Amino acid sequence: MSTLKKLQHDFVAMLQGQNTTFTEHIAKQNGLSTAQRGEIYQNAYQIRLKKVLEQDHEMLGLYLGDELFDHMVEEYLSQYPSRSASLREFGDRIPQLLKSSPRFKEHGILAEIALFERLLLHAFDAADSPTLQLAHLQSIEQSAWPNIVFQLHDSVQLLSCEYSAVESWQALKNGGSPPSPNQGGLRHWIVARAPDKRTGFYPLSQCHFQCLTSIEKGLPFGFVCEAAANVVGDQQQGTLQVMQLLQQGIELGWFIASPQGSQ
Amino acid sequence: MKNTPPPFVGFGLGLRTCYFEEILDTEPNVDWFEIISENYFVSGGKPWHYLSQIKERYPIVMHGVSMSIGSTSDVNFDYLAKLKKTIERVQPLWVSDHLCFSSLGEFNSHDLLPMPYTEESLDHLSQRLSIVQDYLQRPLILENVSSYLTYEVSEMSEWAFLAELHKRTQCQFLLDINNIYVSARNHDFAPQEFIDAIPESAIAQIHLAGHSDFGSHIIDTHDQPICDEVWQLFEQFAKARMPVNTMIERDDNFPSFKEIMAELEQARGLAPASWSKHEYA
Repeated sequence: MSTLKKLQHDFVAMLQGQNTTFTEHIAKQNGLSTAQRGEIYQNAYQIRLKKVLEQDHEMLGLYLGDELFDHMVEEYLSQYPSRSASLREFGDRIPQLLKSSPRFKEHGILAEIALFERLLLHAFDAADSPTLQLAHLQSIEQSAWPNIVFQLHDSVQLLSCEYSAVESWQALKNGGSPPSPNQGGLRHWIVARAPDKRTGFYPLSQCHFQCLTSIEKGLPFGFVCEAAANVVGDQQQGTLQVMQLLQQGIELGWFIASPQGSQ
Repeated sequence: MKNTPPPFVGFGLGLRTCYFEEILDTEPNVDWFEIISENYFVSGGKPWHYLSQIKERYPIVMHGVSMSIGSTSDVNFDYLAKLKKTIERVQPLWVSDHLCFSSLGEFNSHDLLPMPYTEESLDHLSQRLSIVQDYLQRPLILENVSSYLTYEVSEMSEWAFLAELHKRTQCQFLLDINNIYVSARNHDFAPQEFIDAIPESAIAQIHLAGHSDFGSHIIDTHDQPICDEVWQLFEQFAKARMPVNTMIERDDNFPSFKEIMAELEQARGLAPASWSKHEYA
C-alpha cells in the first residue's frame, strides 16, 4: 500500500471511530496536540451528518426527543456510513434502521414517520415534466379510452401507514401533541409536488389508492376502472371514482402529459 | 487542456436557497453567482425552478464539494457523469472543486480532508486532474482547503505544493483567502507568504468567507462575517495583483441579503479602480 493510500485509509478509519494509528501521521506542532487535531475532523464528521439528519427529519426528531434521536444518529453513522456524494441521499436508509434496530423496531410508527419525511424530500426535487391538462383528456377519442395508460409524475409517492405517522407528523408540525400511534387499520396517502412547486400530501380512499397503484403499475384505464369497481362493488360507481381521481390529479399535477395510447 | 485564468467578470455571491426570491425580486447588483454543483444533481423541483430563472439574468459558475480529486480510490465516473450533465444544463463560466480528498472506496466523509504535500501527492493529483479534465472537456479549478493538521510525511509547504502543481499541470486555483488565514493560524505561518507564492497566472477566483475563532484554533465554519484580517489580506492582494473574480461565500447562519450585499460592496470598495469590471468587459 502506498504512503498516500495508507494515510487516507487511516484517516477514514479514524473518522469512523475505529482503532487506528492515525495520530502517528499527524505532525507535532505548537498549540493543539496531534490527538486534538484528529478529533476536530472526527467531531466535524459527526456534527455535519447529524445536522443533515436533523434537517431532513425534523418531526421525527421531535417525536423521538433529543436523547433517542442522538442514539439513532449514532447507530446510523455506525451502520450506514454515507456512500453518496450528495448529502441529500445520506438519510435514505433511516427507515430501514428504524425497522431493524432492537432499540426502535418495536415502535413501527418511527419508521413510518421517517419514510414519510423521505418521500417529502423526494417529491421536493423530483424531475420536472409537463403535467396532464384537461384539454388532453378532451382530445382523446372515446374508443381509445380503455387502452389509455396514464403515468404518474415523478414526484408522486404512495404511502400506506399502519400507524398514525402522517397525523403525528402534522400535529408536531403545528406545535401540537401527536395522537395515539394506533389508528385501527391501514391508511393511504399520496405525496406529490404541486404545479406551484409546493410539496403536499393528501389522504386517499381505498378506491383511489387502488386506482393509483394500478396506474403506477402501468395498467390501462380499463383495468384501473375495474380495480375501482372491485373496491366499490359497482362498475358505474368505479368509473365515477376514477374520473374524480383524474380531476383531482389534474388540478394537483399528479399525472404527466400525453398519456400513452392517446394519439 | 488550455488552462488560463477566466476573464474578469467582477464580484459574485454564493447562491443559496434562502436568497432565491429576493434575488429574483430585487435583481441586485451582483456580477455573477456561484452554485454548489451537487445541489443541482437532482432532477427538478424548486432548486432548478429558481436557478433557471436566475441564470437567465446572471452568469453562473459551479463549485463542487464532493469530487474528492485527491482520493486514491478509483476515479468516480458516476459522479463525473452527473457533474458533466449538470454542467451541460447550467452552462457555467467555469467549474471548481477542492484540492483534497473526501471519499475513499464507498465511504464519503462529506468533509474536505487535506492532502499530504509530497511528490507522491503531486504525481497523483497531476494524473487525476488530467483524467477529470479530459472527461469534462474543460479546465477544473481547484480551491485550497482549510486544515487543522499537517502530516509527518509532508515534504513541502502547502503554497510550494500549489505552485509546483501549477507548474506541472498549468491548473488554476480558487484562492480562498479565509482558508489561508485559518490554516495560517492553525499552523503558525504567515498568510502573506502563502499568497505571495502563488503566481498570478494560477489564480482564477477568490473566495472571502468567515470562520469561528476558538482562541487555540480556528474552524472554517463559513457562518460568520468576514474578519478584519481577511479583509486586510484581500486588500493587499487586490492592490498588488491584476483583477481576479472575487466572491463572498456564506454557508450557514445566513444574515439578511442586505448584509451579504454590504460585504460584496466592501470587497468592491477595497479593490482598486483597475478592478472595475467595465474596464475588462
